[in-house]
Amino acid sequence: MEQFEQLLTCAICLDRYRNPKLLPCQHSFCMEPCLEGLVDYVRRQVKCPECRAEHRIPYQGVQGFPTNVTLQRFLELHIEITGELPDPTSGQIMERCNICSEKAYCSFCFHCDKKVCPDCKGAHMDILRREICRINNQIRRSIHRLQDSLSLVERNTQNIQSNCSSVSEEVEEIYRRLSKALKDRTDYLRGEVDRYLCTELRTLTGLKENLEQEISNILSNCDLADKHINENVDWDDCELMDAKEIFLKTVEFIRNFEYENSDYGRKVRLILAHDPNQLVLHVAGFGDLNIAHQQFGGSGGLLQPPGGGPGLMRSKSDHRLATQFRQQEERGYDKGYGENAQDDLPLSGRKFGDRTTRSTTSNTDRYDRYGRGGGADYGDEYEDTNRPARSRYRSRFNRHAPADNDSDTEPTTRGVRFSEQHKERERTLDTEEVTRGPLSGIQRLADSPRVMKKLQENETNKKKEKENPPAQPPPQPKVTQPTIKKPPVTTRQVSEDDEISKIKKQNKGATTSTAPPEPTPTVTVTKRADDVEDRHANTRRTPAPEAASSGEDSDASESSVQQIQRKTVKTPIVNRRTSGPESTPTHKKASRSTSSDSTTSTESSASSAIRSSTVPHTPEETKPKYTPRITESTPERTRTTSTGTSKGSSNQKTFQSRFLPNRTPTVVPTPPSPKEPETSSEEETESEEESEDETPKPVTNTDMSKTDIGALLARSAHARDTSDTSSKKEEPPYSKSRYDDTPTTYTARTRNTPKDEEPTGYTSRFINKNRTSTDDTKASDDSDRYSSPKSRYSALKDRRQRLARSKSSHAFGDDDETDEAISPTTANPTAYMQSRGYGSTTSGNDLARSRSSHALKSRENSPDRTPTNEKDGAALSSWARYLKNKYGNRSSGKDKDTGTGTVSSSGSSSSAARRLSLGLPLRSSDVGSSDDDQKNMSGSPTTPTAVTVAAAGIAAAAAGTSPKEQYLQKCNLLFKIGGRGSEPGLFTWPRGVAVGPDNSIVVADSSNHRVQVFDANGNFLKEFGQYGNGEGEFDCLAGVAINRIGQFIIADRYNHRIQVFDPAGRFLRAFGSQGAADGRFNYPWGITTDSLGFIYVCDKENHRVQVFQSDGTFVGKFGSMGNKPGQLEHPHYIAVSNTNRVIVSDSNNHRIQIFDVNGKVLSTFGSEGSNEGQFKFPRGVAVDDQGFICVADSGNNRIQIFHPDGTFLKAFGSWGSGDGEFKGLEGIAVTPSGNILLCDRENHRIQVF
Amino acid sequence: MAALPRRIIKETQRLLQEPVPGISAVPDDSNARYFHVIVTGPEDSPFEGGLFKLELFLPEDYPMSAPKVRFITKIYHPNIDRLGRICLDILKDKWSPALQIRTVLLSIQALLSAPNPDDPLANDVAELWKVNEAEAIRNAKEWTRRYAMDN
Repeated sequence: MEQFEQLLTCAICLDRYRNPKLLPCQHSFCMEPCLEGLVDYVRRQVKCPECRAEHRIPYQGVQGFPTNVTLQRFLELHIEITGELPDPTSGQIMERCNICSEKAYCSFCFHCDKKVCPDCKGAHMDILRREICRINNQIRRSIHRLQDSLSLVERNTQNIQSNCSSVSEEVEEIYRRLSKALKDRTDYLRGEVDRYLCTELRTLTGLKENLEQEISNILSNCDLADKHINENVDWDDCELMDAKEIFLKTVEFIRNFEYENSDYGRKVRLILAHDPNQLVLHVAGFGDLNIAHQQFGGSGGLLQPPGGGPGLMRSKSDHRLATQFRQQEERGYDKGYGENAQDDLPLSGRKFGDRTTRSTTSNTDRYDRYGRGGGADYGDEYEDTNRPARSRYRSRFNRHAPADNDSDTEPTTRGVRFSEQHKERERTLDTEEVTRGPLSGIQRLADSPRVMKKLQENETNKKKEKENPPAQPPPQPKVTQPTIKKPPVTTRQVSEDDEISKIKKQNKGATTSTAPPEPTPTVTVTKRADDVEDRHANTRRTPAPEAASSGEDSDASESSVQQIQRKTVKTPIVNRRTSGPESTPTHKKASRSTSSDSTTSTESSASSAIRSSTVPHTPEETKPKYTPRITESTPERTRTTSTGTSKGSSNQKTFQSRFLPNRTPTVVPTPPSPKEPETSSEEETESEEESEDETPKPVTNTDMSKTDIGALLARSAHARDTSDTSSKKEEPPYSKSRYDDTPTTYTARTRNTPKDEEPTGYTSRFINKNRTSTDDTKASDDSDRYSSPKSRYSALKDRRQRLARSKSSHAFGDDDETDEAISPTTANPTAYMQSRGYGSTTSGNDLARSRSSHALKSRENSPDRTPTNEKDGAALSSWARYLKNKYGNRSSGKDKDTGTGTVSSSGSSSSAARRLSLGLPLRSSDVGSSDDDQKNMSGSPTTPTAVTVAAAGIAAAAAGTSPKEQYLQKCNLLFKIGGRGSEPGLFTWPRGVAVGPDNSIVVADSSNHRVQVFDANGNFLKEFGQYGNGEGEFDCLAGVAINRIGQFIIADRYNHRIQVFDPAGRFLRAFGSQGAADGRFNYPWGITTDSLGFIYVCDKENHRVQVFQSDGTFVGKFGSMGNKPGQLEHPHYIAVSNTNRVIVSDSNNHRIQIFDVNGKVLSTFGSEGSNEGQFKFPRGVAVDDQGFICVADSGNNRIQIFHPDGTFLKAFGSWGSGDGEFKGLEGIAVTPSGNILLCDRENHRIQVF
Repeated sequence: MAALPRRIIKETQRLLQEPVPGISAVPDDSNARYFHVIVTGPEDSPFEGGLFKLELFLPEDYPMSAPKVRFITKIYHPNIDRLGRICLDILKDKWSPALQIRTVLLSIQALLSAPNPDDPLANDVAELWKVNEAEAIRNAKEWTRRYAMDN
């Protein structure tokens, strides 16, 4: 056999003969490439390798040699005998590879749409694999969106459930009340009737008896007179006289006696206050369920977090993958809705199983685009532009093309490649029977028979020999991504395998219970060792709660917020497959749970609002019940808000700004004047909204927010929206009534509050609060607050005092707290307005607030309180509440100053007004305690706002009013850190500074070759790094950045590399080396990271900016040496705004340049000089969440602050070593609260403004 | 670099699996076209007992062109010069794609047992070989002992 085999082997290629050609010397060789390669073209000869005989080549070339038919038979025979597979290339003809031009058995490569040789194809497949990995990473990174949506949906489910249950409770309650009232009244009436009957009967009987007696007396007299008053009897005169008198009297009596018919003939009648028919009607229809529908337009914005709004998309879209992800989602959305189903479904249209081959498809075929990604699409795209938004997305998605209209210029190649992947998928995976995401139509790869097969094969192979695995796993990852399984939440933790495996395990557990479609694949997958597989497994595992989703669905249908629900639902479902709720990685869970809690509460408030709205006309009786509740509910509210704000606020902001752009305008600024307690609930919600609305502050935070909180925010926002809408609808009628009542007080009050007055009273209070948590102190604070009083406050004060008296101090404290809680809300709206040009409060406030006093408060708040607000809310019809809010808002919006002071007084009147508006009688008794409470609450909110404002103004730390104002006030040093030295807390030429997610201050202590971390107050926390060029060692590091998951990214300047450390300061990875090629550096200096984790590095001596993925993969670069726009000369520092504007200090050109993420210049400002808006060697740049840009104007030793558009706002600082003086500025950073951190290099310190 | 042609892979595998007696050829870790070769001196030749190191490189168009082979160990041989270059027809014009690494190495081994001073590369050696074969053989043995043993 061995020899037989040998006979079938070509001596040249040592392979089995392929198309053996017989030379005249009787030796045979494969035609291609063996014989072909032997040809001496010059002499048109071929020399037999075996016998060296030379033969002329026939006219047609080596093809002309006769085929060795015998040998071929033998070959066939051999194949038959051994049963081995025929050579796949047999019968094929070699062609030139379209890539490397080598002759080979080319096959079609879907990656490049050409016929290529196996080598090239392999390379391309590698590329694809890598790309898939990358995309996978992106997906992982963004999967949290779906997960967030999932949790949103879960929340919604809960909310709806709680909402419905509370509504039904309410109904029950009312039913009980009504029936009780009815019964009571009935009983009472019956009793009355009985009593009446008795007494009447008694009198009547008495009368009857008397009358009878009279009659008998008189009759007997008459008889007697008849009989005896005559001659017969002897009467003396005296007797007769008497008798006559008696008879006269009798006559008199009879004449005069009149039965008072009216008295005793009174009929009892049941008088009904209302027409019984009406009454029945009323009762019969005593309540209605009002389901608030969200308007598509308005709510759409809210929902965007999950779905992704155009704005967002655009802003992020530069990161192609993100965009694609988005688009896919979008597409999924479409599909889920079944709208445009036919044309919309790029996925379904091309289905993985579809074999739409490039050759068959025509250009016109839309799906073809996937294959081509080519220019042909452009035309289509433009057409599409005119279509409604949705279809546009679709079209975009279809293209995946470079032609994305939204300013994202994606590198063509990439786009093309990506699309090709799709194609490949198409052909590979037969997915007809595969489960797909109900929303997105994304298939579960693991279900695809092909994938399963692949996996299995791989498995078996692995068992056989462990060398092979690399070959096979790749296909899976490939698959995995395209499908957008969105591998488990893990995005962030990708690096941590442990985590993943853990999750996997969890998932597994989940899976088993959830009964995933096909068990087999699971097993296979499970065994894989590779990371990829792990992920895959995860994906599969997660099938998660089908039930939940279905439940959600049904809920959604019921829900008032159907639109929202729908949206949310859809996303979550996709999620579902990826990771069931249970599967969510633990660590994430934690963060989420906290935030979600807050959300829930918010939502609950919203729901309560809805609920209340459902019962617009609360019967009289209901009221008393509600009032007590009210009292209780407040606290929780407060708490909620506080938690929400403190935890999520910073993060939230970013998100919101991105996601809710549409919303913002609609948001009703919260009135500083919640008059009634009920208002508070609504207000709170709104406050949260507002805080979120405010443009994001900390860029750093952005990242965080994305991962964890974004969705939550969205959710809460959405919840709020709902409440808003519902309340809005009903508003009109109420507003009037309320309006009527209030105006007087309102206006009067409003006018009075001058701004200046607030500070004194309020500051003290604010400060105190921060320090103390005891109720007593608060009380005293209050008194302080009011001691500064103006006339307008007196009323309030009175009330307060009264309250204080009537209530225990504790209660008082509570009140206070409530106020506080509310205040952030209030403050926010104002801030919002201001930011819009209205005026004064800062977003910074909430932050400061939430962290400091607010946090304290929230902690203190007694849980009992919570209920109050809700109930309260319930008690008040939502409109009433809404009106109040609205009203308050308006006033505050118009004159903020007034708003604050004003509201306080309105307390009692407002409550009364509310009652009236509700049609409830004013009952003094009822009002008693609860009312007091209400008043208080209503009154207090005002003050807090003022406090905040004042505090902000005074203490720069607490952040000023609007960012602008805040910045305008800057110039006073808050504190400074360090001094020269190498001890912890000292510096030697600090260069980079950054703010960590927890507000920590991170300093690149350049010449001490280390990174130091301080807390927000400048207390030393830790340090890491030392001199050297090993892992975790630095050589004069310069820039430092912190990404959203707290990793430190450090520009290791003299080592020409970037190092990444985990949040604990442990070395994770390094990338780059000296050079000018892509991914190499020449003295990298400033560094920053954006919300997607991309790393931007100022490659100083290469005069460019390079962009990397968080794992260090080179993504792109821009800039070259020069002074034209878009060129750079020694760029030093860099910052990225949350709108993805890349701000670079073009130091030697004395200007700041702003790029988009693709490196296109957006704007440039500044020139050399020392006037305002001019620079001398600007270095550090920072951008806050509002887009304001801070520049460390190194040569002028000052800080300059610019509007987002680059116009000058403020400058401060000068040369020197005192406070607020600088010697050689380096990095700069802005904290979420608006503090400016500054590296004062030659003074070896950090200054904070 | 393009992937390794199947022929090279096959040859390498076969070399490792069925080594030729007296010859070992191991591909370099970093370059599969580069082989570290050790050839034992054939019996009954002045090179007997020596282990001769060679390097062998398969050019890009192998097997259409001959591999490059060179002695690393110094050897006293009329057809091998001081740089270790080998004068062997099949490595030059007589190359045939039907030849393989193993055949080449066998040829080289054969060359050691049958020096061909008439087609010299090292002229002085060839001269001595022709004039005084005994001395030449002595030299060869001496060199073999000195350079090709104990290392």
